[in-house]
Amino acid sequence: MKIRGYVVLSSMFLIGSATAADVWSKKSVAGPDLLPADTAFQLVSAQRDGDNVKLDWVIAPGYYLYRKRLSFEPVQPAQAHIGAPQLPKGENVHDEHFGDTEIYRETLQAKLPLTKGAPAVQQLRVRYQGCADAGVCYPPVTRVIDVAAAPR
Amino acid sequence: MSLKTPALLVGVCVLAGAAGFGIYHLQKGAAAPAAAIGSAAATNATAPEAAPSNIKLTDLAGNSHSLEEFRGKLLVVNFWATWCTPCLHEIPALKKIQDDYGARGLQIVGPAVDDADEVRKAGPGLAFNYPIYIGSAEEMLDLMTKFGNSEGGLPFSVVIGPDGTILQRQLGEFSAVELAGLAEEHLPKQP
Repeated sequence: MKIRGYVVLSSMFLIGSATAADVWSKKSVAGPDLLPADTAFQLVSAQRDGDNVKLDWVIAPGYYLYRKRLSFEPVQPAQAHIGAPQLPKGENVHDEHFGDTEIYRETLQAKLPLTKGAPAVQQLRVRYQGCADAGVCYPPVTRVIDVAAAPR
Repeated sequence: MSLKTPALLVGVCVLAGAAGFGIYHLQKGAAAPAAAIGSAAATNATAPEAAPSNIKLTDLAGNSHSLEEFRGKLLVVNFWATWCTPCLHEIPALKKIQDDYGARGLQIVGPAVDDADEVRKAGPGLAFNYPIYIGSAEEMLDLMTKFGNSEGGLPFSVVIGPDGTILQRQLGEFSAVELAGLAEEHLPKQP
């Protein structure tokens, strides 16, 4: 029984040492702890729905995407075509360098109208870019994603 | 069990803990070049961390440079981009510190994680007083990873001492006050 107690004590010491080492190592980068871009801005689905392709993002608290830095381009099939993206109204912000602009927080759904008569898009190239409120911005992200058919 | 046994066990536990701590530190140190934001290599007073070697940079005229050219200076490598508001906000502070401390041995350099044409367009308006470097997004992200920022968050600065060791990494803006503090701490005192 006593020996088990010593083993527990030893384990706690080792865990404590590792934790101390983590805190120590984090001191070597000053600034906020940030999420990876793919966690901060999660493109969770791309789905054909009637005459549209719907793309959904989940945006982590404290992070935002710029409306004007969203772009969409059909990749497959080569003849696929999409209309002008329909984007929701974002939050208005004034940027000292870029003027009045719109940003999205929490969630974003973009609708891309499918062009009648053209083959339905199966693969899209999507670009987006965002920042953290902590004062750090991420490089533009480019993803080539498969578009799923709407569930029946 | 005698009284000596628990004391012996506790002693072994403490030694094991200390060994674990030491091994953990060594492992973290070895992983330095690819360390992510917020978990870069461990540094301590007895083991200075050398800046990555053979770093090549291309200026706006297309000429190749090496960071070794700046050995002997207090070097601030500031990664930035034209699409990054906090980066643009930080630039006046960097220019001021270059003006104030350049003669005493401080040198700022600005690799841009951006399209070269965008950098060329923005350059005159930003009136840099320190060199700007360009490269493909992949090259610049790879370079930042070598300096300990694998997520590519900007602005990101690495302060390198005159002897080529990394003194500090900064994710997010430096203020002019912080930069002046670094310069006063690491540059030779004025006579």
